Amino acid sequence: MMESKHGIMAIAGRELRRMLSRPLYVMSMILAPLVCVVFFTTLMKDGLPQNLPIGVVDSDNTSTTRSILRNLDAFQQTEIVFEYSSFADARSAMQRGDIYGFFYIPDGTTAKAMRSEQPRISFYSNASYLVASSLAYKDMRMMAELASGAVGRTSLLARGATMDQAMAFLQPIKVDMRPLGNPWLNYSVYLSNTLLPAVLMLMAFLVTIFSIYTELKDETGKEWLEMASGNMYKAVAGKLLPQTLLFFLMIVFCQIWLYGFMGFPHNSGMPVMLVAGFMLVLASQAFAVFLCELIPSLRWCLSLATLWGVLSFPISGFSFPVTAMPASIRALSCLFPLRYYFLIYSDQALNGFPLSGTVPYYLALLAFMFLPFLFMGRLRYAMENYVYEP
Amino acid sequence: MNRLKTIFEICRDELKMIFADHGALVFFLVVPLLYPLLYGYLYSQEVVREVPVVAVDESHSTLSRQFLRMSDASAELKIVSYCADMEEAKAMLRSHKAFGIIHIPSEFSQDLAEGRQATVNLFNNMTGMLYYKSLLSACTDVSLEMNKDIKAVRLAGKTEREIQVSQQPVEYEYIPMFNPQNGFCSFLIPAVLVLILQQTLVLGIALLAGTERERREKGLVVLDKREYGNPFHVLTGKGIAYFLIYAVVALYTLCAVPAFFDLPQLWKTSDLLLFTIPYILSCIFFAITISFFVRDRESCFLLFVFMSVPMLFVSGISWPGSSIPAFWKYIGYLAPSTFGINGFVKMTNCGALLNDVRTEYVGMWIQTAVYYFLALLIYIKLYRPSLAREN
Repeated sequence: MMESKHGIMAIAGRELRRMLSRPLYVMSMILAPLVCVVFFTTLMKDGLPQNLPIGVVDSDNTSTTRSILRNLDAFQQTEIVFEYSSFADARSAMQRGDIYGFFYIPDGTTAKAMRSEQPRISFYSNASYLVASSLAYKDMRMMAELASGAVGRTSLLARGATMDQAMAFLQPIKVDMRPLGNPWLNYSVYLSNTLLPAVLMLMAFLVTIFSIYTELKDETGKEWLEMASGNMYKAVAGKLLPQTLLFFLMIVFCQIWLYGFMGFPHNSGMPVMLVAGFMLVLASQAFAVFLCELIPSLRWCLSLATLWGVLSFPISGFSFPVTAMPASIRALSCLFPLRYYFLIYSDQALNGFPLSGTVPYYLALLAFMFLPFLFMGRLRYAMENYVYEP
Repeated sequence: MNRLKTIFEICRDELKMIFADHGALVFFLVVPLLYPLLYGYLYSQEVVREVPVVAVDESHSTLSRQFLRMSDASAELKIVSYCADMEEAKAMLRSHKAFGIIHIPSEFSQDLAEGRQATVNLFNNMTGMLYYKSLLSACTDVSLEMNKDIKAVRLAGKTEREIQVSQQPVEYEYIPMFNPQNGFCSFLIPAVLVLILQQTLVLGIALLAGTERERREKGLVVLDKREYGNPFHVLTGKGIAYFLIYAVVALYTLCAVPAFFDLPQLWKTSDLLLFTIPYILSCIFFAITISFFVRDRESCFLLFVFMSVPMLFVSGISWPGSSIPAFWKYIGYLAPSTFGINGFVKMTNCGALLNDVRTEYVGMWIQTAVYYFLALLIYIKLYRPSLAREN
């Protein structure tokens, strides 16, 4: 009879009951990640923003400029939605955020072009919105190129040149970009693939710590340790088991959603990424246990885990590359489990590189799992002797 | 007069409680003090420079070498190795020694010599969008530069008419405004700063509310003062306490931090002040409202920390607002940070005046009113005369 109250499975059962007794666990382990999965993948469902509003200022207003402008609206990423009567109007519209960029055709452009005086048209974009700005820039540059080449091309074609010859004459060297891995330049591929596992990592950090140190708060730490016959490793393993399984389930869901449902690239197949996902969960939990060993205080531990978790987002380097960060931060990035998950993702799912080059990153995640073995005695001491302090 | 005195006492009590609570102090002071510095430092280089790429020159011509030399000389790129063929170059990508390949095919110089369009192929493994941008923009600039020279050479000896036709008939120029160096820090940090104010207020207030709720449930009396009998007084008193702290914190976060990192600060002082008041107020009452869902002291970590990321995205700074689906846009209007971030970015980066951001400004006042009302309802539930002892 006493036997059934001891051992890892009994502790796991007890933990499961604790988890079910509080909506907080369901909220943070299931609902929060689910909301994020749906949020990010529906927010960026287009992959690339479509029809970004831009404007024009046609101070010249001749039949030539009007016909140029008519041809500019055929681009997918941008849409000319406003025509302003002056540069100042367009500038303040951009200031208000109505448009992300605008074309400016100064007075006398057509006349100058007729006299071969090389008039200058300009385009502006609001670089405060970096993504919108660079997409608007790309389209507007193309439009400017077309508008500028139009005259030359027309007369070359008129003189019997083929289209190829005309282009070769106007643009002798052409740059052809081939984005491997993400040929659609899909922003959701670029962001969701790391953001969503990052949310799970953050939650694993926090839930692990919360569930361990509420034992002190609820004054049940001794009972918990008792169930493991005083073995702290058993106690922790039993406690984390149901959470681990739930997080595994979440990462499986998340990856099926991304690679299966959304059809995001997974060039080395799903198993390598699933393994990486499981290892990210385990590494995050282990890191959290390690924090618990270092700092025997629920609140301080959660504060540090929050700092680490939130910092993981930028420091994993999926948006702004780590190589462009200061040297100290580059070194620090090695201490974040998410960094390795991102590197594995980039090598395996995105680029389909051979596994051999990626093995070190898996090993790094594995190394995190050994952290709890360093100071487990301290956690045991805390459970036996400390009382909760708010 | 009595009312004012009561409110003043509640405010003083709250301030005393906050300064005695290390947990609340971490959220109200330490996090807003340190996080912005940390984030600013991460992105302090602003742009990605010297991205390592490899070159495969199958043309071995003067022009191909010129192309590579000019690419290498650009600020964006650095050619770390010249590879014999594409296989070797791809191996460099696989071993993480480079992030892109510039491939010049063998027919490059022949094409140019015979008046065909020559192509330079770029390959990028898309690990980072910024690597892609660096590679593309550096090589496009080089090609435009070289095209000019090539055309000039070709035109030597041609007739006036031909020169006229092939000269670029219309010149164009691009001017990035409001963040002239296209910097990542100037783009993201202003938004993060505004968000930090809201999130620390939410966490701090939720922590205090959770603590109070816990004590209440354990039967420890916290409301042993007659003053706590009137929910309106309690809400106003506490609100003033949080506002006093955050007036200082916001000044530091929104003014001192950007100055420290040399970020754009184009706002007019009076406009920024007028803008910040409803932002802090709406954040305070928003925080009190959602702290209703917190049952104990520490659950705020699990409930609210993760929200920072969706809240940043829904503001429309990183993902363009014009492309946010309507559903999420409306959800976004629930958070003060959506208006706060947009308004602040427009003022500090774009030099917008208060009049230019009146949508956001009015939005925040509406939020202030709505959340004040909701917070009052909650306090009516929490603070009743029957709960206050000496009444």
